[in-house]
Amino acid sequence: MDEIIRTEKLTKKYKDVLAVSDLSLNVRRGEIYGFLGLNGAGKTTTIRMLLGMISPDKGIAFINGKKVHPGNTGLWKEIGSLVEIPYSYPDLTVKENLEVIRRLRLLDDKSTVTSVMEKLKLTQYANRKAKNLSHGNAQRLGLAKSLIHNPNILILDEPTNGLDPSGIYEIRELLSDLSKNHGVTIFISSHILGEISRFATRIGIIHNGELIQEINTPQLEQLCQKRLKINTKNNDRAKAVLLQNSIIANDTPDNMLEIPDESTISDPGAIATLLVNNQLPPSLLNMVEEDLESYFLRTIGIKRESL
Amino acid sequence: MKKIWNALSVEFLKTRKSKILLITIIVFTFVPLMMGLMVFVARNPEIAGKMGMVGTKAKMFGENDWPGFFAMLSQTIASIGLVGFGFVTSWVFGREHTDRTMKDILALPVARSSIVLAKFVVAFLWCILLALILFVVGISIGQLMHIPGWSAGLFSQFSSNYFSTALLTLLLCTPVAWLAGYSRSIIAPLGLVILTMIMAQFAGLIGLGPYLPWAIPGLFSVARDTPGFQLHFASYVILAFTFILGYWATLRWWRKADHH
Repeated sequence: MDEIIRTEKLTKKYKDVLAVSDLSLNVRRGEIYGFLGLNGAGKTTTIRMLLGMISPDKGIAFINGKKVHPGNTGLWKEIGSLVEIPYSYPDLTVKENLEVIRRLRLLDDKSTVTSVMEKLKLTQYANRKAKNLSHGNAQRLGLAKSLIHNPNILILDEPTNGLDPSGIYEIRELLSDLSKNHGVTIFISSHILGEISRFATRIGIIHNGELIQEINTPQLEQLCQKRLKINTKNNDRAKAVLLQNSIIANDTPDNMLEIPDESTISDPGAIATLLVNNQLPPSLLNMVEEDLESYFLRTIGIKRESL
Repeated sequence: MKKIWNALSVEFLKTRKSKILLITIIVFTFVPLMMGLMVFVARNPEIAGKMGMVGTKAKMFGENDWPGFFAMLSQTIASIGLVGFGFVTSWVFGREHTDRTMKDILALPVARSSIVLAKFVVAFLWCILLALILFVVGISIGQLMHIPGWSAGLFSQFSSNYFSTALLTLLLCTPVAWLAGYSRSIIAPLGLVILTMIMAQFAGLIGLGPYLPWAIPGLFSVARDTPGFQLHFASYVILAFTFILGYWATLRWWRKADHH
Protein backbone atom coordinates (compact mmCIF):
# COMPACT_ATOMS: atom_id res chain seq x y z
CA MET A 1 0.00 0.00 0.00
CA ASP A 2 1.38 3.36 -1.06
CA GLU A 3 -1.04 5.50 0.86
CA ILE A 4 0.36 5.70 4.36
CA ILE A 5 -1.61 8.55 5.93
CA ARG A 6 -5.11 9.41 4.75
CA THR A 7 -7.66 11.70 6.28
CA GLU A 8 -11.22 12.19 5.09
CA LYS A 9 -13.00 15.41 6.01
CA LEU A 10 -11.37 15.53 9.42
CA THR A 11 -13.12 18.17 11.54
CA LYS A 12 -12.67 19.38 15.09
CA LYS A 13 -14.53 22.19 16.79
CA TYR A 14 -13.88 23.71 20.20
CA LYS A 15 -17.00 25.54 21.32
CA ASP A 16 -17.25 28.32 18.73
CA VAL A 17 -13.82 27.79 17.21
CA LEU A 18 -13.47 25.54 14.19
CA ALA A 19 -9.93 24.25 14.74
CA VAL A 20 -9.86 21.89 11.73
CA SER A 21 -12.43 21.84 8.96
CA ASP A 22 -13.03 19.04 6.45
CA LEU A 23 -9.35 18.25 6.15
CA SER A 24 -8.64 15.57 3.57
CA LEU A 25 -5.08 14.66 2.67
CA ASN A 26 -2.95 11.74 1.59
CA VAL A 27 0.67 11.03 2.35
CA ARG A 28 2.38 8.38 0.26
CA ARG A 29 5.09 5.95 1.29
CA GLY A 30 8.53 7.51 1.62
CA GLU A 31 7.16 11.00 1.20
CA ILE A 32 8.13 13.93 3.41
CA TYR A 33 4.92 15.87 3.74
CA GLY A 34 5.44 19.39 5.06
CA PHE A 35 2.35 20.60 6.86
CA LEU A 36 2.57 24.33 6.93
CA GLY A 37 0.52 26.90 8.79
CA LEU A 38 0.66 29.81 11.15
CA ASN A 39 0.40 29.26 14.89
CA GLY A 40 -3.21 28.34 15.63
CA ALA A 41 -3.91 27.28 12.03
CA GLY A 42 -4.85 23.75 13.12
CA LYS A 43 -1.54 21.89 12.67
CA THR A 44 -1.24 20.53 16.19
CA THR A 45 -4.93 19.63 16.41
CA THR A 46 -4.57 17.66 13.16
CA ILE A 47 -1.46 15.90 14.46
CA ARG A 48 -3.18 15.04 17.74
CA MET A 49 -6.10 13.60 15.79
CA LEU A 50 -3.67 11.52 13.71
CA LEU A 51 -2.20 10.19 16.95
CA GLY A 52 -5.55 9.39 18.56
CA MET A 53 -5.08 11.99 21.28
CA ILE A 54 -8.12 13.97 20.16
CA SER A 55 -11.30 12.50 18.69
CA PRO A 56 -12.52 14.24 15.55
CA ASP A 57 -16.07 15.59 15.61
CA LYS A 58 -16.42 14.45 12.03
CA GLY A 59 -14.31 12.60 9.53
CA ILE A 60 -11.88 9.76 9.80
CA ALA A 61 -8.14 9.15 9.65
CA PHE A 62 -6.26 6.08 8.49
CA ILE A 63 -2.62 5.21 8.95
CA ASN A 64 -1.25 2.23 7.03
CA GLY A 65 -4.83 1.39 6.11
CA LYS A 66 -5.85 1.07 9.76
CA LYS A 67 -8.39 3.39 11.30
CA VAL A 68 -6.83 5.70 13.86
CA HIS A 69 -8.20 4.86 17.28
CA PRO A 70 -6.58 5.28 20.71
CA GLY A 71 -7.09 1.60 21.50
CA ASN A 72 -5.44 0.42 18.29
CA THR A 73 -2.15 -0.24 20.08
CA GLY A 74 -0.70 -2.27 17.19
CA LEU A 75 -0.77 0.85 15.04
CA TRP A 76 1.42 2.87 17.40
CA LYS A 77 4.26 0.35 17.08
CA GLU A 78 4.93 1.63 13.59
CA ILE A 79 4.73 5.33 14.41
CA GLY A 80 7.16 7.71 16.06
CA SER A 81 5.81 11.06 17.12
CA LEU A 82 6.75 14.36 18.61
CA VAL A 83 3.98 16.78 19.56
CA GLU A 84 4.72 20.44 20.23
CA ILE A 85 7.44 21.18 22.78
CA PRO A 86 8.83 17.86 23.97
CA TYR A 87 8.91 17.46 27.73
CA SER A 88 10.53 14.66 29.69
CA TYR A 89 10.46 13.50 33.29
CA PRO A 90 12.58 16.22 34.91
CA ASP A 91 14.09 14.06 37.66
CA LEU A 92 15.10 11.27 35.30
CA THR A 93 18.29 11.40 33.29
CA VAL A 94 18.38 11.39 29.50
CA LYS A 95 19.16 7.68 29.56
CA GLU A 96 16.37 6.92 32.04
CA ASN A 97 13.84 8.91 30.02
CA LEU A 98 14.75 6.86 26.96
CA GLU A 99 14.62 3.70 29.05
CA VAL A 100 11.03 4.59 29.98
CA ILE A 101 10.10 4.83 26.30
CA ARG A 102 12.05 1.66 25.42
CA ARG A 103 10.01 -0.30 27.95
CA LEU A 104 6.70 1.27 26.93
CA ARG A 105 7.49 0.48 23.30
CA LEU A 106 8.12 -3.14 24.32
CA LEU A 107 11.65 -3.13 22.86
CA ASP A 108 13.70 -6.01 24.24
CA ASP A 109 17.02 -4.77 22.93
CA LYS A 110 18.48 -2.48 25.59
CA SER A 111 21.11 -1.19 23.17
CA THR A 112 18.42 0.83 21.36
CA VAL A 113 18.83 3.47 24.07
CA THR A 114 22.57 3.83 23.43
CA SER A 115 22.24 3.82 19.68
CA VAL A 116 19.53 6.48 19.58
CA MET A 117 21.60 8.64 21.95
CA GLU A 118 24.51 8.34 19.53
CA LYS A 119 22.31 9.15 16.56
CA LEU A 120 20.97 12.31 18.23
CA LYS A 121 24.36 13.26 19.76
CA LEU A 122 23.08 12.88 23.30
CA THR A 123 25.66 10.40 24.60
CA GLN A 124 27.59 13.03 26.53
CA TYR A 125 24.37 14.04 28.32
CA ALA A 126 23.27 10.45 29.09
CA ASN A 127 23.46 10.94 32.85
CA ARG A 128 22.19 14.50 32.94
CA LYS A 129 18.73 15.03 34.39
CA ALA A 130 16.20 16.21 31.83
CA LYS A 131 15.45 19.34 33.89
CA ASN A 132 19.07 20.44 33.43
CA LEU A 133 19.13 20.11 29.63
CA SER A 134 19.29 23.09 27.31
CA HIS A 135 16.25 23.73 25.14
CA GLY A 136 18.02 22.32 22.10
CA ASN A 137 19.06 19.13 23.87
CA ALA A 138 15.57 18.72 25.33
CA GLN A 139 14.35 18.88 21.73
CA ARG A 140 16.91 16.25 20.72
CA LEU A 141 15.71 14.04 23.57
CA GLY A 142 12.15 14.43 22.27
CA LEU A 143 13.31 13.38 18.82
CA ALA A 144 15.27 10.47 20.28
CA LYS A 145 12.09 9.24 21.96
CA SER A 146 10.28 9.36 18.64
CA LEU A 147 13.06 7.51 16.79
CA ILE A 148 14.10 4.89 19.37
CA HIS A 149 12.07 2.09 17.72
CA ASN A 150 13.10 2.90 14.12
CA PRO A 151 9.53 3.64 13.04
CA ASN A 152 8.27 3.45 9.46
CA ILE A 153 6.16 6.53 9.96
CA LEU A 154 7.15 9.74 11.70
CA ILE A 155 4.64 12.37 12.74
CA LEU A 156 6.51 15.42 13.93
CA ASP A 157 5.15 18.73 15.15
CA GLU A 158 7.71 21.52 14.71
CA PRO A 159 10.67 19.22 15.50
CA THR A 160 13.38 21.82 14.96
CA ASN A 161 11.97 24.34 17.41
CA GLY A 162 14.69 25.60 19.69
CA LEU A 163 17.56 24.07 17.73
CA ASP A 164 20.48 26.18 16.58
CA PRO A 165 21.26 26.36 12.81
CA SER A 166 23.64 23.41 12.93
CA GLY A 167 21.09 21.40 14.89
CA ILE A 168 18.40 22.24 12.34
CA TYR A 169 20.76 21.14 9.55
CA GLU A 170 21.54 17.84 11.32
CA ILE A 171 17.88 17.03 11.89
CA ARG A 172 17.05 17.92 8.29
CA GLU A 173 19.79 15.61 7.04
CA LEU A 174 18.69 12.86 9.40
CA LEU A 175 15.05 13.07 8.27
CA SER A 176 16.05 13.23 4.58
CA ASP A 177 18.21 10.15 5.07
CA LEU A 178 15.41 8.27 6.81
CA SER A 179 13.05 9.09 3.96
CA LYS A 180 15.42 8.52 1.02
CA ASN A 181 17.38 5.54 2.26
CA HIS A 182 15.03 3.80 4.66
CA GLY A 183 11.63 4.52 3.12
CA VAL A 184 10.33 6.26 6.22
CA THR A 185 7.21 8.33 5.63
CA ILE A 186 7.39 11.67 7.38
CA PHE A 187 4.57 14.05 8.20
CA ILE A 188 6.16 17.19 9.57
CA SER A 189 4.52 20.44 10.60
CA SER A 190 6.14 23.83 10.66
CA HIS A 191 5.34 27.49 10.32
CA ILE A 192 8.51 28.19 8.33
CA LEU A 193 8.13 27.41 4.62
CA GLY A 194 11.76 28.16 3.87
CA GLU A 195 12.88 25.40 6.19
CA ILE A 196 10.30 22.83 5.12
CA SER A 197 10.80 23.43 1.40
CA ARG A 198 14.44 22.35 1.69
CA PHE A 199 13.58 18.74 2.29
CA ALA A 200 9.83 18.15 2.00
CA THR A 201 8.67 16.42 -1.15
CA ARG A 202 5.16 17.81 -0.86
CA ILE A 203 3.70 20.69 1.07
CA GLY A 204 0.20 21.25 2.39
CA ILE A 205 -0.78 24.69 3.60
CA ILE A 206 -3.38 24.91 6.34
CA HIS A 207 -5.03 28.17 7.30
CA ASN A 208 -7.91 28.73 9.72
CA GLY A 209 -8.32 24.98 9.94
CA GLU A 210 -8.66 24.44 6.18
CA LEU A 211 -6.18 22.87 3.80
CA ILE A 212 -5.93 25.65 1.25
CA GLN A 213 -3.16 24.35 -1.01
CA GLU A 214 -1.14 21.23 -1.71
CA ILE A 215 1.95 21.49 -3.90
CA ASN A 216 4.89 19.38 -4.91
CA THR A 217 8.07 21.12 -3.79
CA PRO A 218 9.59 21.31 -7.30
CA GLN A 219 6.51 23.31 -8.39
CA LEU A 220 7.05 25.80 -5.63
CA GLU A 221 9.68 27.84 -7.48
CA GLN A 222 7.39 28.33 -10.46
CA LEU A 223 4.66 29.62 -8.21
CA CYS A 224 6.81 32.29 -6.62
CA GLN A 225 6.29 35.70 -8.19
CA LYS A 226 9.14 37.63 -9.86
CA ARG A 227 9.55 41.42 -9.93
CA LEU A 228 12.09 43.68 -11.56
CA LYS A 229 13.61 46.22 -9.22
CA ILE A 230 15.09 49.35 -10.78
CA ASN A 231 17.00 52.36 -9.52
CA THR A 232 18.04 55.38 -11.58
CA LYS A 233 19.27 58.91 -10.81
CA ASN A 234 15.69 60.16 -11.36
CA ASN A 235 13.11 57.55 -10.56
CA ASP A 236 10.12 59.89 -11.10
CA ARG A 237 11.20 60.51 -14.71
CA ALA A 238 12.01 56.83 -15.19
CA LYS A 239 8.51 55.92 -13.99
CA ALA A 240 7.01 58.36 -16.52
CA VAL A 241 9.17 57.02 -19.36
CA LEU A 242 8.15 53.46 -18.55
CA LEU A 243 4.48 54.47 -18.41
CA GLN A 244 4.75 56.10 -21.84
CA ASN A 245 5.78 52.62 -23.04
CA SER A 246 2.83 50.98 -21.25
CA ILE A 247 4.99 49.60 -18.46
CA ILE A 248 3.62 50.13 -14.98
CA ALA A 249 6.24 50.66 -12.29
CA ASN A 250 5.48 51.10 -8.61
CA ASP A 251 7.43 52.92 -5.93
CA THR A 252 9.02 50.73 -3.28
CA PRO A 253 9.49 51.60 0.39
CA ASP A 254 13.27 51.94 -0.24
CA ASN A 255 12.71 54.65 -2.90
CA MET A 256 13.25 52.48 -5.94
CA LEU A 257 10.95 51.26 -8.70
CA GLU A 258 9.46 47.87 -9.13
CA ILE A 259 7.79 46.28 -12.15
CA PRO A 260 5.47 43.47 -11.02
CA ASP A 261 4.20 42.26 -14.40
CA GLU A 262 6.00 38.99 -15.18
CA SER A 263 5.35 39.13 -18.95
CA THR A 264 6.95 42.59 -19.16
CA ILE A 265 10.03 41.65 -17.19
CA SER A 266 10.75 38.52 -19.18
CA ASP A 267 13.25 40.68 -21.13
CA PRO A 268 15.01 42.97 -18.64
CA GLY A 269 17.54 43.94 -21.31
CA ALA A 270 14.82 45.75 -23.30
CA ILE A 271 13.84 47.77 -20.23
CA ALA A 272 17.49 48.68 -19.58
CA THR A 273 17.86 49.82 -23.21
CA LEU A 274 14.72 51.93 -22.95
CA LEU A 275 16.02 53.70 -19.86
CA VAL A 276 19.53 54.23 -21.30
CA ASN A 277 18.04 55.71 -24.47
CA ASN A 278 16.21 58.23 -22.27
CA GLN A 279 19.43 59.22 -20.46
CA LEU A 280 18.36 57.29 -17.39
CA PRO A 281 20.95 54.50 -17.13
CA PRO A 282 19.90 52.19 -14.30
CA SER A 283 22.26 52.00 -11.34
CA LEU A 284 20.39 48.86 -10.29
CA LEU A 285 18.43 46.35 -12.33
CA ASN A 286 17.62 43.33 -10.26
CA MET A 287 15.24 40.45 -10.82
CA VAL A 288 13.77 39.78 -7.39
CA GLU A 289 12.13 36.45 -6.85
CA GLU A 290 9.50 36.20 -4.16
CA ASP A 291 10.90 34.29 -1.24
CA LEU A 292 9.08 31.28 0.10
CA GLU A 293 7.97 33.07 3.22
CA SER A 294 6.30 35.77 1.16
CA TYR A 295 4.72 33.14 -1.06
CA PHE A 296 3.32 31.43 2.01
CA LEU A 297 1.98 34.69 3.43
CA ARG A 298 0.48 35.65 0.06
CA THR A 299 -1.19 32.25 -0.20
CA ILE A 300 -2.88 32.64 3.15
CA GLY A 301 -3.83 36.22 2.33
CA ILE A 302 -1.34 38.21 4.39
CA LYS A 303 0.59 40.97 2.59
CA ARG A 304 4.22 41.62 3.31
CA GLU A 305 5.52 45.07 2.49
CA SER A 306 9.20 44.23 2.33
CA LEU A 307 8.83 41.81 -0.56
CA MET B 1 1.14 -9.54 30.47
CA LYS B 2 4.40 -8.11 29.17
CA LYS B 3 2.64 -4.82 28.52
CA ILE B 4 1.39 -4.55 32.11
CA TRP B 5 4.74 -5.63 33.49
CA ASN B 6 6.60 -3.03 31.41
CA ALA B 7 4.13 -0.31 32.42
CA LEU B 8 4.64 -1.33 36.06
CA SER B 9 8.43 -1.26 35.77
CA VAL B 10 8.23 2.23 34.28
CA GLU B 11 6.01 3.50 37.09
CA PHE B 12 8.36 1.95 39.65
CA LEU B 13 11.35 3.63 38.02
CA LYS B 14 9.62 7.02 37.99
CA THR B 15 8.54 6.65 41.63
CA ARG B 16 11.93 5.41 42.83
CA LYS B 17 13.63 8.42 41.28
CA SER B 18 11.24 11.00 42.70
CA LYS B 19 11.87 13.07 45.80
CA ILE B 20 8.21 12.78 46.76
CA LEU B 21 8.69 9.14 47.80
CA LEU B 22 11.28 10.14 50.40
CA ILE B 23 9.21 13.11 51.57
CA THR B 24 6.13 10.95 52.21
CA ILE B 25 8.27 8.40 54.07
CA ILE B 26 9.66 11.17 56.28
CA VAL B 27 6.15 12.51 57.02
CA PHE B 28 4.77 9.06 57.86
CA THR B 29 7.78 8.47 60.16
CA PHE B 30 7.41 11.85 61.79
CA VAL B 31 3.71 11.42 62.70
CA PRO B 32 4.13 8.44 65.08
CA LEU B 33 7.25 10.07 66.50
CA MET B 34 5.11 13.07 67.43
CA MET B 35 2.48 10.73 68.88
CA GLY B 36 5.23 9.16 70.96
CA LEU B 37 6.26 12.61 72.17
CA MET B 38 2.67 13.34 73.19
CA VAL B 39 2.41 10.08 75.12
CA PHE B 40 5.76 10.83 76.78
CA VAL B 41 4.57 14.29 77.81
CA ALA B 42 1.19 12.95 78.99
CA ARG B 43 2.96 10.37 81.13
CA ASN B 44 5.15 13.03 82.70
CA PRO B 45 2.77 15.72 83.99
CA GLU B 46 5.67 17.80 85.31
CA ILE B 47 6.93 18.22 81.71
CA ALA B 48 3.40 18.80 80.36
CA GLY B 49 3.07 21.85 82.59
CA LYS B 50 6.23 23.39 81.12
CA MET B 51 5.37 22.66 77.49
CA GLY B 52 2.34 24.90 77.06
CA MET B 53 0.35 23.92 73.95
CA VAL B 54 2.13 20.58 73.56
CA GLY B 55 1.30 19.76 77.16
CA THR B 56 -2.37 20.64 76.64
CA LYS B 57 -2.56 18.51 73.48
CA ALA B 58 -0.85 15.65 75.27
CA LYS B 59 -3.61 15.59 77.90
CA MET B 60 -6.07 14.78 75.10
CA PHE B 61 -4.40 11.41 74.71
CA GLY B 62 -6.28 10.28 77.80
CA GLU B 63 -5.29 6.84 78.98
CA ASN B 64 -1.61 6.38 78.25
CA ASP B 65 -1.81 2.67 77.77
CA TRP B 66 -1.63 0.38 74.74
CA PRO B 67 -5.41 0.28 74.07
CA GLY B 68 -5.40 4.09 73.94
CA PHE B 69 -2.26 4.22 71.80
CA PHE B 70 -3.60 1.57 69.40
CA ALA B 71 -6.87 3.46 69.02
CA MET B 72 -4.91 6.61 68.25
CA LEU B 73 -2.82 4.82 65.59
CA SER B 74 -5.96 3.43 63.93
CA GLN B 75 -7.60 6.83 63.81
CA THR B 76 -4.38 8.34 62.49
CA ILE B 77 -4.26 5.97 59.53
CA ALA B 78 -7.87 6.86 58.75
CA SER B 79 -7.28 10.63 58.85
CA ILE B 80 -3.60 11.12 57.90
CA GLY B 81 -4.01 8.17 55.55
CA LEU B 82 -6.89 9.86 53.74
CA VAL B 83 -4.70 12.92 53.10
CA GLY B 84 -1.45 11.04 52.53
CA PHE B 85 -2.91 8.39 50.23
CA GLY B 86 -4.81 11.10 48.38
CA PHE B 87 -1.60 13.04 47.92
CA VAL B 88 0.25 9.97 46.62
CA THR B 89 -2.54 9.20 44.13
CA SER B 90 -2.75 12.83 43.00
CA TRP B 91 0.95 12.84 42.38
CA VAL B 92 1.13 9.50 40.57
CA PHE B 93 -1.68 10.49 38.19
CA GLY B 94 -1.24 14.27 38.12
CA ARG B 95 2.50 14.33 37.49
CA GLU B 96 1.99 13.53 33.81
CA HIS B 97 0.22 16.88 33.56
CA THR B 98 2.60 18.93 35.69
CA ASP B 99 5.61 17.33 33.93
CA ARG B 100 3.69 17.70 30.63
CA THR B 101 4.60 14.14 29.65
CA MET B 102 1.02 12.94 29.11
CA LYS B 103 1.35 13.07 25.31
CA ASP B 104 4.33 10.68 25.48
CA ILE B 105 2.29 7.88 27.01
CA LEU B 106 -0.86 8.00 24.87
CA ALA B 107 0.18 6.63 21.46
CA LEU B 108 2.13 3.54 22.50
CA PRO B 109 1.94 -0.23 22.04
CA VAL B 110 1.13 -0.40 25.76
CA ALA B 111 -2.57 0.32 26.15
CA ARG B 112 -3.73 3.26 28.24
CA SER B 113 -5.65 0.82 30.47
CA SER B 114 -2.36 -0.92 31.32
CA ILE B 115 -0.77 2.41 32.25
CA VAL B 116 -3.76 3.28 34.46
CA LEU B 117 -3.59 -0.14 36.13
CA ALA B 118 0.19 0.21 36.67
CA LYS B 119 -0.33 3.64 38.21
CA PHE B 120 -2.97 2.32 40.61
CA VAL B 121 -0.77 -0.65 41.59
CA VAL B 122 2.19 1.64 42.30
CA ALA B 123 0.03 4.13 44.21
CA PHE B 124 -1.52 1.32 46.30
CA LEU B 125 1.86 -0.27 47.08
CA TRP B 126 3.28 3.13 47.98
CA CYS B 127 0.34 3.77 50.34
CA ILE B 128 0.69 0.32 51.91
CA LEU B 129 4.38 1.07 52.49
CA LEU B 130 3.43 4.32 54.24
CA ALA B 131 0.84 2.51 56.36
CA LEU B 132 3.49 -0.07 57.30
CA ILE B 133 5.94 2.68 58.26
CA LEU B 134 3.35 4.34 60.49
CA PHE B 135 2.57 0.95 62.02
CA VAL B 136 6.17 -0.16 62.65
CA VAL B 137 7.42 3.22 63.89
CA GLY B 138 4.31 3.64 66.08
CA ILE B 139 4.68 0.22 67.72
CA SER B 140 8.47 0.69 68.15
CA ILE B 141 7.97 4.06 69.84
CA GLY B 142 5.34 2.60 72.13
CA GLN B 143 7.68 -0.25 73.06
CA LEU B 144 10.56 2.14 73.65
CA MET B 145 8.45 4.15 76.04
CA HIS B 146 7.24 1.07 77.88
CA ILE B 147 3.57 1.95 77.55
CA PRO B 148 1.64 -0.31 79.93
CA GLY B 149 -1.13 -2.74 79.00
CA TRP B 150 0.42 -4.71 76.08
CA SER B 151 -1.03 -8.07 75.23
CA ALA B 152 -0.65 -10.31 72.21
CA GLY B 153 -4.43 -10.56 71.79
CA LEU B 154 -4.83 -6.80 71.88
CA PHE B 155 -1.99 -6.38 69.36
CA SER B 156 -3.51 -8.92 67.01
CA GLN B 157 -6.92 -7.22 67.21
CA PHE B 158 -5.33 -3.80 66.63
CA SER B 159 -3.26 -5.03 63.67
CA SER B 160 -6.33 -6.40 61.97
CA ASN B 161 -8.29 -3.19 62.62
CA TYR B 162 -5.38 -0.96 61.54
CA PHE B 163 -4.72 -2.66 58.21
CA SER B 164 -8.43 -3.01 57.46
CA THR B 165 -8.80 0.75 58.04
CA ALA B 166 -5.80 1.38 55.77
CA LEU B 167 -7.33 -0.77 53.03
CA LEU B 168 -10.72 0.93 53.34
CA THR B 169 -8.96 4.30 53.07
CA LEU B 170 -7.09 3.07 50.00
CA LEU B 171 -10.37 2.39 48.23
CA LEU B 172 -11.03 6.14 48.26
CA CYS B 173 -8.04 6.86 46.03
CA THR B 174 -9.76 6.14 42.73
CA PRO B 175 -11.93 9.30 42.60
CA VAL B 176 -8.77 11.30 43.34
CA ALA B 177 -7.07 9.69 40.33
CA TRP B 178 -10.02 10.61 38.13
CA LEU B 179 -9.94 14.23 39.27
CA ALA B 180 -6.17 14.42 38.65
CA GLY B 181 -6.95 13.56 35.03
CA TYR B 182 -10.08 15.63 34.64
CA SER B 183 -8.50 18.75 36.14
CA ARG B 184 -5.10 17.97 34.56
CA SER B 185 -3.35 18.91 37.79
CA ILE B 186 -2.31 17.86 41.27
CA ILE B 187 -3.90 20.78 43.11
CA ALA B 188 -7.58 20.03 42.38
CA PRO B 189 -7.48 16.43 43.63
CA LEU B 190 -5.67 17.59 46.76
CA GLY B 191 -8.48 20.11 47.23
CA LEU B 192 -10.94 17.22 46.92
CA VAL B 193 -9.08 15.29 49.61
CA ILE B 194 -9.24 18.21 52.03
CA LEU B 195 -12.89 18.87 51.20
CA THR B 196 -13.84 15.25 51.75
CA MET B 197 -12.03 15.27 55.10
CA ILE B 198 -14.07 18.28 56.21
CA MET B 199 -17.25 16.68 54.86
CA ALA B 200 -16.46 13.50 56.76
CA GLN B 201 -16.32 15.47 60.02
CA PHE B 202 -19.68 17.12 59.39
CA ALA B 203 -21.29 13.88 58.20
CA GLY B 204 -20.10 12.24 61.40
CA LEU B 205 -21.65 15.02 63.50
CA ILE B 206 -25.08 14.74 61.90
CA GLY B 207 -25.12 10.95 61.87
CA LEU B 208 -24.61 10.49 58.12
CA GLY B 209 -21.06 9.17 58.50
CA PRO B 210 -21.94 5.55 57.69
CA TYR B 211 -23.23 6.69 54.30
CA LEU B 212 -20.47 9.05 53.26
CA PRO B 213 -17.57 7.11 51.69
CA TRP B 214 -14.93 9.44 53.11
CA ALA B 215 -16.23 9.08 56.68
CA ILE B 216 -16.47 5.28 56.62
CA PRO B 217 -12.77 4.36 57.25
CA GLY B 218 -12.69 6.83 60.17
CA LEU B 219 -15.80 5.24 61.69
CA PHE B 220 -14.36 1.78 61.11
CA SER B 221 -11.26 2.73 63.07
CA VAL B 222 -13.15 3.63 66.26
CA ALA B 223 -14.66 1.16 68.69
CA ARG B 224 -17.58 -0.72 67.13
CA ASP B 225 -19.82 -0.09 70.14
CA THR B 226 -19.51 3.70 70.01
CA PRO B 227 -23.12 4.98 69.71
CA GLY B 228 -23.93 6.52 66.31
CA PHE B 229 -20.65 5.29 64.79
CA GLN B 230 -21.78 1.81 63.76
CA LEU B 231 -21.26 0.91 60.13
CA HIS B 232 -23.84 -1.04 58.17
CA PHE B 233 -23.54 -3.46 55.30
CA ALA B 234 -24.62 -0.59 53.05
CA SER B 235 -21.56 1.37 54.21
CA TYR B 236 -19.21 -1.23 52.71
CA VAL B 237 -21.27 -1.39 49.54
CA ILE B 238 -21.04 2.41 49.20
CA LEU B 239 -17.27 2.26 49.69
CA ALA B 240 -16.86 -0.54 47.13
CA PHE B 241 -19.08 1.34 44.70
CA THR B 242 -16.99 4.52 45.15
CA PHE B 243 -13.84 2.54 44.37
CA ILE B 244 -15.32 0.93 41.26
CA LEU B 245 -16.86 4.17 40.02
CA GLY B 246 -13.57 6.04 40.54
CA TYR B 247 -11.59 3.37 38.68
CA TRP B 248 -14.08 3.26 35.81
CA ALA B 249 -14.16 7.08 35.54
CA THR B 250 -10.34 7.27 35.56
CA LEU B 251 -10.06 4.63 32.85
CA ARG B 252 -12.76 6.26 30.75
CA TRP B 253 -11.09 9.66 31.01
CA TRP B 254 -7.74 8.24 29.89
CA ARG B 255 -9.35 6.39 26.99
CA LYS B 256 -11.93 8.87 25.77
CA ALA B 257 -11.01 12.42 26.79
CA ASP B 258 -9.36 14.80 24.36
CA HIS B 259 -5.73 15.15 25.37
CA HIS B 260 -4.57 18.63 24.44
